[in-house]
Amino acid sequence: MKSNRAYPPLASRLFSVWYRHFRTYTKDLVSNGFPPFMEPLIFLAGMGIGMARYVPGLAGMSYLQFLATGLVMTSAMFTSAFECTYGTYIRLEFDKTYDGMLAAPLKVSDVMIGEALWAGTKGAFFSLAVLVIISAFGLVNFAAALLTPFVGFLTGFLFASIGLLITSFVKNMNHFNFFFTGLLSPMFMFCGTIFPIENLPPPLQVLAEFLPLTHPVRLGRVAAMASGWHASLLLDLAYTIGVAALIMAWATKRLEKRIIK
Amino acid sequence: MLLGMPANAIEVRNIFKTYADGTPAVKDVSFDVPEGSCFGFLGPNGAGKTTLMKMLFGMVKRDARPGTRVDVLGFDPARDELSIKHLCGVVPQDNNLDTEVNVGANLYIYSKFYGIPSRDARERITELLGFMELREKAKAKVGDLSGGMKRRLVIARALMNRPKLLILDEPTTGLDPQVRQLIWDKVRSLKREGTTVLLTTHYMEEAYQIADSIVIMDKGNRVLEGNPRKLLAEGIEGWVLEVLDEDAMGAFGDAGGGGLLSPGVRREDGESRSQFFSEHPEALREIATRLPSGATHLRPTNLEDLFLRSTGRQLNEEQ
Repeated sequence: MKSNRAYPPLASRLFSVWYRHFRTYTKDLVSNGFPPFMEPLIFLAGMGIGMARYVPGLAGMSYLQFLATGLVMTSAMFTSAFECTYGTYIRLEFDKTYDGMLAAPLKVSDVMIGEALWAGTKGAFFSLAVLVIISAFGLVNFAAALLTPFVGFLTGFLFASIGLLITSFVKNMNHFNFFFTGLLSPMFMFCGTIFPIENLPPPLQVLAEFLPLTHPVRLGRVAAMASGWHASLLLDLAYTIGVAALIMAWATKRLEKRIIK
Repeated sequence: MLLGMPANAIEVRNIFKTYADGTPAVKDVSFDVPEGSCFGFLGPNGAGKTTLMKMLFGMVKRDARPGTRVDVLGFDPARDELSIKHLCGVVPQDNNLDTEVNVGANLYIYSKFYGIPSRDARERITELLGFMELREKAKAKVGDLSGGMKRRLVIARALMNRPKLLILDEPTTGLDPQVRQLIWDKVRSLKREGTTVLLTTHYMEEAYQIADSIVIMDKGNRVLEGNPRKLLAEGIEGWVLEVLDEDAMGAFGDAGGGGLLSPGVRREDGESRSQFFSEHPEALREIATRLPSGATHLRPTNLEDLFLRSTGRQLNEEQ
């Protein structure tokens, strides 16, 4: 009798997809590892030298600390959003990577969830890189802040799911401009990274609560500062995980239709 | 479900595919592929070959119709595509290798999709690189490989899991003759070991070389099917004399030939050439003597001629 379970179980399938991305990414570790360390360094050096002294401290920390602990999650957001828009689109339409992977015992959902898990891992790595830099600046205590990469993972997964959903609609790579300029850039400005959302006019504060970056930034700042814990953070955590799961399910369904004709 | 293995690796009954935009790609195709044999789909680009293959491992959804039945190694791709893919190796039309990593790593990454333990994977990789004659290339970058080597690597990748069924989608398109011969040799030796092979190609020669049975498709329909040698023997005369110089045909006048043709010779006029078919090469040689020397070419007929006769079109014409 044939067993219906000859093929690898779900966990093994997801791991294999994750592993494929891990191997291809780490092949070029020097050039791929350069930006996550360099970007926060440049940003903080510029801000620290040039701007921070004009801005008073806020919410019990210096402005540079506020900015630095916001950057931890935007870095995770951008890397994961890039991975699951441009990266996914190129694998889908140009490199035909998925045709090769889907010839092996994998489903479209395995490939996409594995991809988001990898983007989450990159988010964790990028937030860790920022943490290394900002603790070297003496802005945070590295040892106390080790929950940060975990939040970085969730952030990466959340923006991977959003990126995959966007990709499922896109017919031309230029369309990603709407996503990056129309959604990610405003979020970078208005979701509590550069200034507290309490400074926004009240209607925009409400809007900011709906935007996906607000919640990871709040979680990430507390994790990086290792202070400011509050029960309401559970809501931020629930938003981050819940929205990621919902969007992931929708994105997978749409990509399935796009790939399996 | 039947106990034991079916005698056919693949059984397809009345399969249809219409794409979302309304394009009918496959119309009512049925076929059986006995275990351990090589089955070839032939036809011009756009004939529906790739669509048909992709339906067998779930990359394309067949139309839902009550009369359709598909069985691949005991499983229906509509319900259990993972079981099928676990037992199959697929060589897609595009190479899609991971260019970031070297040859060995490409295979190692792929072994993980099958959940093969690392030690077994490494052994298998050594074996496959040897089999596909890529042993010295284990550490080479994919970008540095020639087209033929890339293709061999994709085939090695498809063999990772020791497939019972190997699906080859245009395995040698665009490759030079030596590499094609090598790939055909490898396919033959896999067949000897009991692997069932499913092949699409628009090279008649390829089908003739390795397939036990072929279906010639055109515009989603079956045109001819059977053993390639038998088809050729029964479907068309053994020899053809091609007249490459149209002006030379002046001597023969219009298609009627004015009684100049001996019995058993058939004449066909194309747009830029005329052909004489016969079982008897001597009859054709006699015709050649009546035409300017160098204007004719006598050769055995091939599946290409048969295809042309059955469909009225050249195989490599775009549709």
